[in-house]
Amino acid sequence: MSLPYSLRTSITPPELELIATQQLIEIIPLIAIEKTAFISGAFGPLQPPRKAKIPLWMAINLKLRKKCHIVAPEWLSVEFLQSRLDEEINEPGFSKLPFRYAEISKVLLDVASDDIQNTDKIRSLLKDLREARQAKSREGLDQINRGELSVSNLCSMEINEIRPFFVHAMGILTHLHREASTEDQL
Amino acid sequence: MASASASAHTSTRARLPSAAPDIYIPEDEESLVSQLTKHWLNERHAPDILPAQEELLASLLDYIRRQSDAVQLLRGQPSASEEEHIRIMLVQMEVERVKFIVRSYVRTRLYKIEKFARFIMGDATIQTRLTTAERTHAQKHAELTDAHFYNSVLQSLPETQSHLDDTPIFMPPMITKPDESRPVFVHALRDCPPIRFHEDLTLEMKRGHISLMPYSFIEQLLLRGDVELI
Repeated sequence: MSLPYSLRTSITPPELELIATQQLIEIIPLIAIEKTAFISGAFGPLQPPRKAKIPLWMAINLKLRKKCHIVAPEWLSVEFLQSRLDEEINEPGFSKLPFRYAEISKVLLDVASDDIQNTDKIRSLLKDLREARQAKSREGLDQINRGELSVSNLCSMEINEIRPFFVHAMGILTHLHREASTEDQL
Repeated sequence: MASASASAHTSTRARLPSAAPDIYIPEDEESLVSQLTKHWLNERHAPDILPAQEELLASLLDYIRRQSDAVQLLRGQPSASEEEHIRIMLVQMEVERVKFIVRSYVRTRLYKIEKFARFIMGDATIQTRLTTAERTHAQKHAELTDAHFYNSVLQSLPETQSHLDDTPIFMPPMITKPDESRPVFVHALRDCPPIRFHEDLTLEMKRGHISLMPYSFIEQLLLRGDVELI
């Protein structure tokens, strides 16, 4: 088959991770590499201890070889996540988080936990955030109709999670409406 | 563009293509890889077949070939230092990542083409969105399945029941076509003109807006590049 069955309805989390790791991140290199032309652009030169911006997948690879330290993005900190969590609990809408925060925070916590401060606290905050947002998006199911459902500030992983059910539900509502209106004309 | 093989021949020790200033990609312009990623995601989520990106694919395949050639050339050098080794590995890894996306993109199109093969043969608009190779494939696929159905079942059925393109009442038509009413998640890349759903509901999407709505409403916006599917 040209496309395996599991890939037909939706994109998968590993594929989302592949996309997320294209984003740039700051590192402190421990190895000198000259400027190199990649397909996605030119990166480098890396000169310790000067900070450099490279794609996340490259940073992960170097990190696994202990050839760099990763500078955690500003949003991956206790203060930022705590303020977003408070907002999430007190406000009706979704708080504004980086679009691919779930994927990026996961890979960073997996490979570079020694470069991030308070990882335990960050992990539990991320989990709370995820749960609070998940509950909200489930409530959103009430508002599905045949027209449109705004889900601004929802993140890629969360969208992917609700996609099969939401798409199916809205599809059915659209069909029901279409059938009802054709009957009116008869 | 500093070609890898040219610089390798001139210097005693081959090096990866250094970034020449003329191939510098400004930050606000999307790199080919992120363009392809966007088209790949759109294709994965859209119920219909989107216009083929032949030029983009051709130039990316060209890049992949050049980078792999450079890597091959450097692999043969036994004296490479550790830094050089890591550099080669990173370049190779990127090539594999891009190859994955290219493959998945092509396969997604292929899946839809096979699914809608019969519909494609009878519809001129959808044909304009395919490459020549894809059109040929659709035609062959439709002919082969038709012949197969005919030989295995249809020839022994009465004349009135031996067609593959009936549109019986109260039943879905026999030719599968893209379901344009299937909802998709859209992300507005810039401010969009208002969309009219029905008499009393319009929506004006601002930049960054994310919404779930039937594909047919945003088809035009998607073709213009105002929105992307996520």
